[in-house]
Amino acid sequence: MKPDALRGHLDALLLATLDGRELHGYAIIEALQLGSGGALDLPTGTVYPALRRLERAGHVVSDWSTVGGRKRRTYKLTSAGQRALRAERSAWREFTSVIDGVLGGDGKWAQA
Amino acid sequence: MGTGLIDDYVTDLGSRLQGSRRQVRDLLTETRDSLSDAVEAHLDRGLDEEAAQRKAVEEFGPVREIAGEYQAELAVAYGARTLALLAVVLPVMHALWEMGRMYFIGPWQDFGGPVPSWYMWVAKANDMTSGVSAGIALVALVLGRVLARRFDAQLLARLAASVALLSLLVVVLGNVAILGATWGLDPQRLVQSFPMSVASFATWAVIVRLGLLARRCLSCATIVV
Repeated sequence: MKPDALRGHLDALLLATLDGRELHGYAIIEALQLGSGGALDLPTGTVYPALRRLERAGHVVSDWSTVGGRKRRTYKLTSAGQRALRAERSAWREFTSVIDGVLGGDGKWAQA
Repeated sequence: MGTGLIDDYVTDLGSRLQGSRRQVRDLLTETRDSLSDAVEAHLDRGLDEEAAQRKAVEEFGPVREIAGEYQAELAVAYGARTLALLAVVLPVMHALWEMGRMYFIGPWQDFGGPVPSWYMWVAKANDMTSGVSAGIALVALVLGRVLARRFDAQLLARLAASVALLSLLVVVLGNVAILGATWGLDPQRLVQSFPMSVASFATWAVIVRLGLLARRCLSCATIVV
């Protein structure tokens, strides 16, 4: 999937990746790639500014901790982040339902 | 594990960034960690050391593009820090100056005889500037947090820098106005109380320091990486 198509959804993808768990940067990137079956092809470096943006918005908090013997910055959702994720999921369901109603018809209008 | 390409990438990235030293260091540490993790993952998949490093760097993204995104975040963070500082320091500085004035000089009407009404108007306006400027900074800080995800980081950083400079300009104008008014009324009053002359000098030193921070905010927000 093209990076430009993903950029607008990166915040929501990161919120969803952090749902119910605390992860460091590279673990987030791996989880994103795993969750998409490797289809998410975004420069991994763009994840860190996006995490900072979410932190600035109060949707995630970060802290330095030791993971696997190395000091890492780990991120987790705040309650505001949980609310934002619920809103993102709801907006996404509405969006896909509307688009699918038009695009997902396999040309049935043309056949009618 | 060698880190030649990783080191080169992180060094190149670091040389393009401007902001709080701690935040730049944190971002670069995180970048190095991420690249090292990626190299380990690629080594586990069977790539040799050099190929693993090259792939990790390629996946991370072109350094110029990544530096642009990092710099925007650093600039916003620097702007927020400066606004927070203005919101706290300006009212505290004014309160301390007023406490000193009451202790060493007393009420204005007791200071070298009665003053005309226009002078009192300038003095009252100057008294308000610190509160107004701190209020502007505080509102910008809160709005910046609310709008964090809706606005481009670079735009937010430029707005923060502009608000910081505007806030300081208001304070500078207030201070210049009262100095000019006092000079016009009676220049002797400017040096009549030595402790308050020292306090005024300290006030200007703080304003200059805050001005340098605000200018650096603007530089962080407009630098081309």
